[in-house]
Amino acid sequence: MPDTSEKDPVITSSLGTFLVVSSVLVMLTLVWALYNEFFGLRPWKSYERDFAVRYVKFLRKQIPVQESAEKAILASPDYQQLDQQVKAAEEQVKDKSDETDKQIAILDARFSAITETFTTERAYVATQVYAIEHTSLDNQTSLQNKLAKHEAGPFRVSLPTLPDGKIVTGDYTFQQLQDEFNKVQLDKANMLEEKSELLRPVSELRKKRDAYLTDHLNGLTTEQMRGVLKKTQDASIEIKQINNPDAGIVDRCETCHAGIREQVVITAKDMGGKEVFVSHPEPDLLTLHDPEKFGCSPCHGGNGMALESKERAHGQYEHWLWPLHPMENVQAGCQQCHAMDMVLDHAPVLSDGKDLFQRRGCVGCHRFQNYDPEPELIASVQQQLLLFENQRSEAQRNIARSIQLGDAAPDNDTARMYYTQADKLRVSISDIDGRIEQLDRRSKDLLRDTKKVGPDLKEVRVKMHPDWIPVWLTNPHAWRPSTRMPRFRLADNEVKAISAFIWQSGIDAALPTQPQGDPVKGKESFETRGCMGCHSLDESSPHFAANLSRVGEKDNYDYLVRWIHNPRERTRPYCPFEKRDLTEADYKKHGLPFVFDLDHSKCPNDGHELQVEQETIMPNLRLTIEESRDIASYLMTLKTKDPSSYAKADYLNDPSLKAQGHALVQRYGCAGCHEIAGMEDEGRIGTELTKEGSKPIEQIDFALLTREAREQGWYDHKGFFEHKLAKPEIYDTGRDWKDRDPNDRLRMPDFDLKQPEINALTTFLMGAVESQIPQRYWDAPEDQRRDIQEGWWVVKKYNCMGCHQFMVGQSSRLMTLPRYQTPEWRDQLPPKLMGEGARVSPDWMEKFLANPAMDSKDTDRDGVRAYLKARMPTFFFSPIEIRKLVRFFQALSGQPMPYIPPKLEPLTDQEIAMARALFTSKGAPCLKCHATGDPSHDKFATAPNFLLARDRLKPGWARRWMLDPSMIAPGTAMPSGLFKPVGDHYVFAGPTPDIFKGYDGDQPELLVRYMFEITPDEQRRLMGMSADMLKTSELIRIQEPVHRLTDSRQNRMPSGPIAAKIAGR
Amino acid sequence: MDWHQLWEITSAPDNVPIVALILLVPFYTWYGIRQALANDRLIAQLEADPQLAKTHHRKTMPWKAGWSKEIPVWPYLLRIEFLAAIVVTVILMVWSITLNAPLEELANPNLTMNPAKAPWYFLGLQEMLVYFDPWMAGVVMPSLIIVGLIVIPYIDANPLGAGYYTWKQRRFAISTFCFGFLFLWLLMVVIGTFIRGPGWMWFWPGQTWDPNNQVFEVNRDLPDLFRITNIWGKTIFGAIVMGIYFAVSGGVVHKLFTWSDWNKKVFAKMSFLQYITMQGFLTIMMLLPIKILIRHLFRIKYIWVTPWFNL
Repeated sequence: MPDTSEKDPVITSSLGTFLVVSSVLVMLTLVWALYNEFFGLRPWKSYERDFAVRYVKFLRKQIPVQESAEKAILASPDYQQLDQQVKAAEEQVKDKSDETDKQIAILDARFSAITETFTTERAYVATQVYAIEHTSLDNQTSLQNKLAKHEAGPFRVSLPTLPDGKIVTGDYTFQQLQDEFNKVQLDKANMLEEKSELLRPVSELRKKRDAYLTDHLNGLTTEQMRGVLKKTQDASIEIKQINNPDAGIVDRCETCHAGIREQVVITAKDMGGKEVFVSHPEPDLLTLHDPEKFGCSPCHGGNGMALESKERAHGQYEHWLWPLHPMENVQAGCQQCHAMDMVLDHAPVLSDGKDLFQRRGCVGCHRFQNYDPEPELIASVQQQLLLFENQRSEAQRNIARSIQLGDAAPDNDTARMYYTQADKLRVSISDIDGRIEQLDRRSKDLLRDTKKVGPDLKEVRVKMHPDWIPVWLTNPHAWRPSTRMPRFRLADNEVKAISAFIWQSGIDAALPTQPQGDPVKGKESFETRGCMGCHSLDESSPHFAANLSRVGEKDNYDYLVRWIHNPRERTRPYCPFEKRDLTEADYKKHGLPFVFDLDHSKCPNDGHELQVEQETIMPNLRLTIEESRDIASYLMTLKTKDPSSYAKADYLNDPSLKAQGHALVQRYGCAGCHEIAGMEDEGRIGTELTKEGSKPIEQIDFALLTREAREQGWYDHKGFFEHKLAKPEIYDTGRDWKDRDPNDRLRMPDFDLKQPEINALTTFLMGAVESQIPQRYWDAPEDQRRDIQEGWWVVKKYNCMGCHQFMVGQSSRLMTLPRYQTPEWRDQLPPKLMGEGARVSPDWMEKFLANPAMDSKDTDRDGVRAYLKARMPTFFFSPIEIRKLVRFFQALSGQPMPYIPPKLEPLTDQEIAMARALFTSKGAPCLKCHATGDPSHDKFATAPNFLLARDRLKPGWARRWMLDPSMIAPGTAMPSGLFKPVGDHYVFAGPTPDIFKGYDGDQPELLVRYMFEITPDEQRRLMGMSADMLKTSELIRIQEPVHRLTDSRQNRMPSGPIAAKIAGR
Repeated sequence: MDWHQLWEITSAPDNVPIVALILLVPFYTWYGIRQALANDRLIAQLEADPQLAKTHHRKTMPWKAGWSKEIPVWPYLLRIEFLAAIVVTVILMVWSITLNAPLEELANPNLTMNPAKAPWYFLGLQEMLVYFDPWMAGVVMPSLIIVGLIVIPYIDANPLGAGYYTWKQRRFAISTFCFGFLFLWLLMVVIGTFIRGPGWMWFWPGQTWDPNNQVFEVNRDLPDLFRITNIWGKTIFGAIVMGIYFAVSGGVVHKLFTWSDWNKKVFAKMSFLQYITMQGFLTIMMLLPIKILIRHLFRIKYIWVTPWFNL
């Protein structure tokens, strides 16, 4: 009997439950997958919806506000008047335009009536023509006949006809249809043109009226806003993408940042606190960099294609190499394309970083492209020189050989060939000589442009108090907090060794002893000569160069006098070929006097170019030796303690320390910033930073902090730079680092950087990347903008902005000093250089920059503005830098190079008399303020001598200057409003001298021509004519109200039209 | 113990299959063996009771009267397979929704990762590169594995154990599989995943994967230990050593193969070609664990150094 109580489980057990459960599960996962597909992976959809809702709400609220503002403008009498004009004009042409409209309507009706029949027949004809063209010859005739028969029609059409639109029915052939079809269109076009001609005055008035509205309304008009509203409401949920296949840019950022390009200014507050929806804070930047071309991520970083989450889109995950720049470093994005720009409008933080990199001496250890390029250029020039010299000697050998071969040639032709060859080689030698000469000159110029960040340490023995050196080395910041010398983490014995090495490698020479000067006069000189353009005397406002208050506590007086008198003076010349400093003996050997300067710069031993100047930025102020003594004496009085109070450092002369010191100096790369005997050719010891921002993070050594950095979230370039800059030794960590060999420790010294400085440098370094965008997108112009870029490097290098103003809104260091706050002293400020390129001739400028005294003998003067106490110093620019500066100023003012002066008509006698009269008129006594070369008069002069004008100025500028100087240099002492327009020319605004009766020429132009012809004799004559007026001195200040006016205008002016030009529009 | 590191490795999306493998392989091994032992018991019972053997319904369950002796594939097998398919589908879908493909940064030929690990199923091969030269580990051994797997049916002289789990009847085959696949192959995959860190260095579980870690791995070849410098000397020396190895390991394999009476019968049924093929594959397979051991214990790299290949 089968046991029925127990069933076979395989057959009887039901899997139903399992099946149901797993089926439900599979359905649920399917739903999950679909949800994930539509929403989970596409969070941007909710962003878009959210934006639409919020933006619509915002616009609805905003439109009434704008509407009332608009209404106020619409109700204003000006607008009403304009509106009236429009209406009147409309009324005037109404009948005619209505008539034209009617006719156009009839033509339209006629056109549509004919279209159907014509296009149908045309399609049929086209097929027949094709058939005829592609059939056999036999068939062609019959088909052609058939077509002709068809074309003959007739086709019956009913057409509305001008002038009253009556419908006329008629029979047409195909050809007639076609003609009619074309004619209707032509007629209509003519009608439309007629109409627009008719309405032109109306539309112009309307344009004027609408322009009035947009000019007076802040933001978009209500109508435009309504358009935006409608656009937002109608927008579909879709990915918004910028695609520039040319540069490989695909950015979908605007999918979530939907408001970024809106013309309506949207703040986070407007959108209920949602930062993501704001409009771009600097719309100007978007105008300069069209987002359709540049996208977003090339500047901002981030993964422009990603949309699945904020972290992905912003590239803030492990494997995305270009994460979004944080807000404080947002300007880093500019650097990749603007590496050549030293000064970048819209990017002050980045510009600061670039500046600091040079100023704090980072460049002494770290190579960075474009920074301090002279040593490399010199090396490459020398390489080329070597090459040419080899070529030359090879050519010489070949000449001899060719002649030999020619002499031994079997026939005349062969001989001639060899002799020709020899001639060719001779010519090539002369060519090579020419090149060598150029390279030699270039190498000399480059040698002059080579500047070190720190002072020359060969001079310590003649300059320093020895006991001060170890004090300084131990902690420079303790002695002078604002110094650019960084603090090396040196042990006492290291300090001793380095001090001893530096001391012993210094040049031993005796300086002439200088008598004491007058400190009171020195103080005045120091504060007015322009020293304060770079230097400071207290720690509260450090600037470009050192704080000099304690200079007396370390330097000796004699050296200081020499330095102030001529900072370029070297104790001994350096021969880069022999790699040593020459001594008097070297000169004596060759029977030469021990004289070396820019004119005597050849080495007596080997004829190579010598370094005859100090490698310092400090220029020569061309002060007399007495004045130099006064200033030095003044600086010496500032010291608070005597150098003898430092601990005695007898070990400085211990020769056993020298080797260790040498090794340490080498290790710490001191020669990067200082000139040190025997170490002139030491390379930079740091890593190159040009592309540091895109160095793979694995190659950046966080050392034992790797783990910590990862966990604390700063395992990235920003984190590394910030920590390194704040505390360079931070990565020297671990249980044993104190016991570790000092050679294994990090070498980078502490700079005591402030937080903004760290941020600026971090921004700069983060931006220093291998760019992902093609080079043609970079800001590397070939035209004048390139001159501007190159010029800024020189301007920054020499701190021209310490004394001069280059851009409206930028103030020079001197302008901020307390002394220059009164009107009298404001007149003593060095000239503003805005528009300088339009003002002066480039040839003159070149001469002036080479020698601002404009005189080779009397150098204790200023070539142009002798009346200024502050003096334009001699920078000893090389021709390379002068060329860059001249081109810079010309380019900044959009002046073409080379400059060809316009020809000025010579003056007639009558005109000369008129010009004299105007020059000496009571209303405008020009010579009152302008210098004349007469010392008694020039004491009170506040403007340049007219004799300079011919060579110096451009005539067009001189005329513009006379018309409105405050437009060119806000705040200038030159009065505005001297001339007023009458008809097409300007006349003097004051009482016109009688002689001008009947003259209807342009008076300022007459003056310009006179100025450009003036001679010293003529000037004396003028002085005689206006002698009585020159005696009184009140007149100078009469222009006071004008000053004030221009001052306030300056304050109101928006910053930087020049700057905007530089930014590369 | 660096728990953070351990978690980082085990939670990496790449390593999910290996973590699952560590749990699932032992489970299914245990499960299969349990089934095999149950079958063995049944076999013993049926052998003792010929009557029952005639009527038994070919299931592991005890015999019940009336149960059909055979049942059709449809629906009884297919419905279970269908169920399994659904469950696997659910698992795969959930897996693919929750874990994205672990993409890394754009490839940069100037900056390659260290180590560049193979996909998990090839990690065993990559680990073999540590012990053999690339020619052996990359070409010869994988070919031998494939050929060896193909050859199995042709050298299998055991007539029993097909279509059901059994331990008693296929002791040698199962042991060889467990050693060759579970122990050698999977162990190497696990080592490659969890033990080999930066620079393919050996890190015990819980040790921090420090790229700057220093390991003492100065290796030498066996002939160097005997101060043989001449390359021909090395070749001959290695050949002798390998000869001795094959002789000894051949003996050991033979001993193991003929351990049980059952296998002795199987051995008797094998042709010489079948036997020598099996010997060849097994002795070569045994080279792997031996090389792993001498490498780690005695720092010996190659046994047989020749101008053409190294072993």
